[in-house]
Amino acid sequence: MAGAHREERAAAVARIAVLGAEGPGDVTRLPSGSPLGDSGSSESGTFLALGRLGAKVEILPAGNVDDCLRLSREPSLDLILLDCCPREVVEAFFSARPGQGAPVVVIIPADASESAALDAFRHGASDCVRVGGEYVEVLALVAMEQIQRWRGLREKEAARDKIEWLERLNQAIVTEIPVSLLVLDGHRRVVEWNPEFQRTFDCGPGEARGAEIRDVLPAPLIADGQLMELVPALGEPLPKRPRLARFTDAEGKDLVFDVRSQRLDAEGHLLLTLSNVTKTELMSRRLGELERFNEHVVQSINSALVVIDLEGRISYANPTAGQILKISEADLAGRPIGEFLSSTDKMPAVVEMALEKGVHSRGREMVLSLADGAAVPIGISCTPLLGDHDEIQGAVAIFQDLSEIKELQRQVLQQEKMASIGQLAAGIAHEINNPVGFIHANLAQMSEYLDDLGLYLDSVDELKRVVSAEASEEGARALRSLDDLARKIDLDYLRGDFGSALRESLEGSERIRHIVSDLRDFSHRGGVKKSSADINQCVDSTANIVWTMMKHSVELEKNYAELPELRCHPMQIKQVLMNLLVNAYQAIEENVEDGSATRGVIEITTRERDAGIEIAIRDTGAGIAESNLPRIFDPFYTTKEVGAGTGLGLSTSYGIVKQHGGEMTVSSELGQGACFRVWLPHDLDEASEPT
Amino acid sequence: MANLLIVDDDAGILSALRRTLRREGWNILLAGSPSEALEIIDQNRVDLILSDHKMPGMTGTELLGEVSRRSPETVRILITGWSEAIDEDELARIGVGAMVSKPWDDAELKAVLRQYLA
Repeated sequence: MAGAHREERAAAVARIAVLGAEGPGDVTRLPSGSPLGDSGSSESGTFLALGRLGAKVEILPAGNVDDCLRLSREPSLDLILLDCCPREVVEAFFSARPGQGAPVVVIIPADASESAALDAFRHGASDCVRVGGEYVEVLALVAMEQIQRWRGLREKEAARDKIEWLERLNQAIVTEIPVSLLVLDGHRRVVEWNPEFQRTFDCGPGEARGAEIRDVLPAPLIADGQLMELVPALGEPLPKRPRLARFTDAEGKDLVFDVRSQRLDAEGHLLLTLSNVTKTELMSRRLGELERFNEHVVQSINSALVVIDLEGRISYANPTAGQILKISEADLAGRPIGEFLSSTDKMPAVVEMALEKGVHSRGREMVLSLADGAAVPIGISCTPLLGDHDEIQGAVAIFQDLSEIKELQRQVLQQEKMASIGQLAAGIAHEINNPVGFIHANLAQMSEYLDDLGLYLDSVDELKRVVSAEASEEGARALRSLDDLARKIDLDYLRGDFGSALRESLEGSERIRHIVSDLRDFSHRGGVKKSSADINQCVDSTANIVWTMMKHSVELEKNYAELPELRCHPMQIKQVLMNLLVNAYQAIEENVEDGSATRGVIEITTRERDAGIEIAIRDTGAGIAESNLPRIFDPFYTTKEVGAGTGLGLSTSYGIVKQHGGEMTVSSELGQGACFRVWLPHDLDEASEPT
Repeated sequence: MANLLIVDDDAGILSALRRTLRREGWNILLAGSPSEALEIIDQNRVDLILSDHKMPGMTGTELLGEVSRRSPETVRILITGWSEAIDEDELARIGVGAMVSKPWDDAELKAVLRQYLA
């Protein structure tokens, strides 16, 4: 406070205004013991006296009465000395001097009349000193006394002001503060309370006096906050921590109070403060909920959430948005949404509709164009963000990456397609099986018949040649008509083409037979009980069957490990092996046909692996291009020329192995041959088999 | 001369099989149903029975099971397009000598039959 500062300064330095003094000067420099005249000027004596007050004296010389009056109005002035001033000057000073102010000491010249001192007191001087024998000592004592008295007065006055001010402040606080205050005496009875308490706890003026705390505060509030612990008996320690206490008021509103107590004095007076923190508490709870919501929902949902301002710029993006857009969410802030959601950098329609018309869009599909050129299919919903007065402040867009869903949809469609193809195939195979069987068998027989007929016709030709020379006229005519008929039906061509037609038909029916056989295997699997089988024997018998077909171009290497029996469908496993061996053979044939090799090797290895049996079939054939590898187990996928294969062999084999709970893998490089591995697990759980 | 009995409910199959095997030097008997086949078995010495599986009234395995009781010395062979519906343990129990898939391969079929009908 400025006042306090001034007082400190005044205490440190005594400021004394002197009228009638000769001029300003540092009293401390006056030589002590300077000779003093008995009369005339007292000035050197005055300075000596002031010098005895101590080092910290500031002399303020006044040139005239007005000057002195001006100085006397300074609040920090400690003393005014009227030093041997003429009578009229003294009178002029006192008549114009303000009522209150620093004490005035009048120094009367040695030769002044007796009444001069009386006059001075009458005018209002605090003391008088006559110049004379012990004048210096007397003046020093008088000045000191006056200064101390004046300072004491001033301090008392300042203290009184301060107390008054504090009382007013206290009153204002107690009355206006929105906190319920309760003062309890040593017996824990209410002695004081404030209007807020009256309002909050519905208590009439005067009602509370002398009451116990149980009488003025609601019981649920006391119980909830265990408030009795806050007002312990005299001498018991006071809990330091404030309490939160809740109760429901008469109107059904839930209220929360922060309650604290404080000891006021040794008599045991306690101040109990009850602050209504209901709103704060609600807000902080709501804030907590919002923070948790933000953390648990917005931050962690698998959907991107983006807040867009009115200019179409991103103002917030959650981590998923960053992942989908492949930019950190922090870097997304401020970027126009059009950069991502449309190829033309224009604001996408869903966002535009939300921002401009407040329209809500749901589940729209669109394609994101990312900086790296990738196109990501997304499903997007956009909602306008409304302010307190329903004005549009922006928009919230939520979108999901649909790539996986699209892929799954594609796969489901593919599986459904395959399943219906399978059913169709089964039906066709069933119907075609028998007719193809006998057509094929008959065609084979017919070509044998044709061979026989050919032999017969050769004999006829021979007969014609022998008899034509000596034929009778009738015989010659018959021979001619035979020749005519032969020409007419183009017998030579017919004989040649009959064979071709049959051979081609046989080839055709052979192809149908294979297709039907593949289709049947593809569509009908399982449903049969397994039996124990020696896998080495399965491999060997299958290899022997195909051996005759391939022996001219293939060397077979067999590495069989000793194996335990395996429960499986041996016929199906043989079918898989047959398929793999035929494929291996065809791969080698490819090399033979294009001249890159004359022979090849097929290596068959069996071994135990991972609680099952592995059969590896490795060939030195043409190999498989890397780009074809992922698709070779797909149904109907074939690299053979149209008609040469149905594309069902490997997928059928794969299906059989999968149905056994096993695995089939392939490793190959174009030109480096291929290795197919079939792993079949030991069947530990026969109970789970389909019956 | 060995007696070979062929059983199939499809006349086209019977006729084609007879044609295929005609020159093998066996006496070929034909039955259009399992009951007809059992009649023939009861009245003739049959060295080998080649039976279809899926037939009305009785399946091929059931027929061959019956044949194994009535005429144990008859070699039993199943020719079928639907092998997957057949219990292989059951085949072993009945004592089915071989399975031929339909449509058949002429050479394969002849090779199998020749094994038993020397």
